[in-house]
Amino acid sequence: MGKNKIPFTESRSYPVFFMILITVIFIGILATFHQITRQRIENHRILSYKKTVLSLFDLPFTNIEADYNDFIEENNQNGMDYLTARKENQIIGYGFNISGSGLWGSIHMIIAVTPDFQEIIKLDILDQNETPGLGGRITESWFKDQFSGKDFVEQGKIIPFKLVPEEDDIDLKEIRQITGASSSSKAVVKILYLELQNIADKLGIKYD
Amino acid sequence: MTKKEIFIVSAFTENSVWKQVLGICSALAVTNLMKNSLVMGLGVTFTLALSGLTISLLRQYIPKRVRMMVQTLIIASYVIIVDIFLKAFYPEMSKALGPYVGLIITNCIIMGRAEAFAGKNKPLDSMIDGIGAGLGYSLVLLLISFFRELFGFGSVMGFSVLGDWWYRWSIMVMAPSAFFMLAILIWIIEGPLRANRKK
Repeated sequence: MGKNKIPFTESRSYPVFFMILITVIFIGILATFHQITRQRIENHRILSYKKTVLSLFDLPFTNIEADYNDFIEENNQNGMDYLTARKENQIIGYGFNISGSGLWGSIHMIIAVTPDFQEIIKLDILDQNETPGLGGRITESWFKDQFSGKDFVEQGKIIPFKLVPEEDDIDLKEIRQITGASSSSKAVVKILYLELQNIADKLGIKYD
Repeated sequence: MTKKEIFIVSAFTENSVWKQVLGICSALAVTNLMKNSLVMGLGVTFTLALSGLTISLLRQYIPKRVRMMVQTLIIASYVIIVDIFLKAFYPEMSKALGPYVGLIITNCIIMGRAEAFAGKNKPLDSMIDGIGAGLGYSLVLLLISFFRELFGFGSVMGFSVLGDWWYRWSIMVMAPSAFFMLAILIWIIEGPLRANRKK
């Protein structure tokens, strides 16, 4: 009896072989591409971070690396990393990386506060995973700029800002929330409140 | 079909959104701003064109039983390549696009065209079909987002056009408005416009 030989492409092992082969090829292409661009992406990330820090303190950034080294000092106290910004030998403020839970993932922010740790100079969002077009609007300037110049201390205690509808006028303790994204707006305000308390505890800041 | 006919059929006659009701998730999510819709549309068009080309080139070797796994792998790879490329060479644009690039993977139009067209047709035809389907999808997104942004924010492409006197319709910014805007669009195209064409 003649033995009917099945072609390899019709055998049961062919799909497995093909899947492994194509996975190896595509993952190989991706891994190579990632490896080639990794350092470049990391450099962009560091440069972007330094530019954000300088802009928080309204410092120049014509040469980002040199300006960052001239004006910013990286410090650590009681396990808390923070940045000290100086201009003409005067401390103009402190910077802190803060983070917490948003609606879909973590929100990473950076805040600049005045040397007396009472007022926000500026706030910026470094990374977020909120809903595009809704919660993602926390990165828009009008939302972030509301925090600038806000005093977060009242009667010797750090207080959370109150959220009001987007169309409303605001006072010094209020923030306009994003329409359709109240959870993301609340998350930013909550992260800010909890992290400011945490920073004050770790650095031993007291208000009389 | 000629190449021109392939393009017209995939972009208009058999439009993925208003005719096949595909890609609805992203059509609802990103259409409250025109800029977001444009970015999403371009990303989907690019991925559709290249994944269609690749799947068509490999169509004779892809085993039927694992074809969807292969399609997903190819689509995801292209999306990741776009993401890495933007991060490495156009960091500002990558930052502006944010999570939209990753969201392209979840668009069912790409998988739909791979199954319905690229797996059975020539590479160049599949690429043209992908470009047509992508531009047809982009057209719908831009149409919906034009009205949502105009009434919801008083702006077009981020530029204020209605001024401060305009009282913003909050509902237009939220997802429910995308449902009824899409329904109105489908009704206009498949109802009055189609009736006119028949006459």
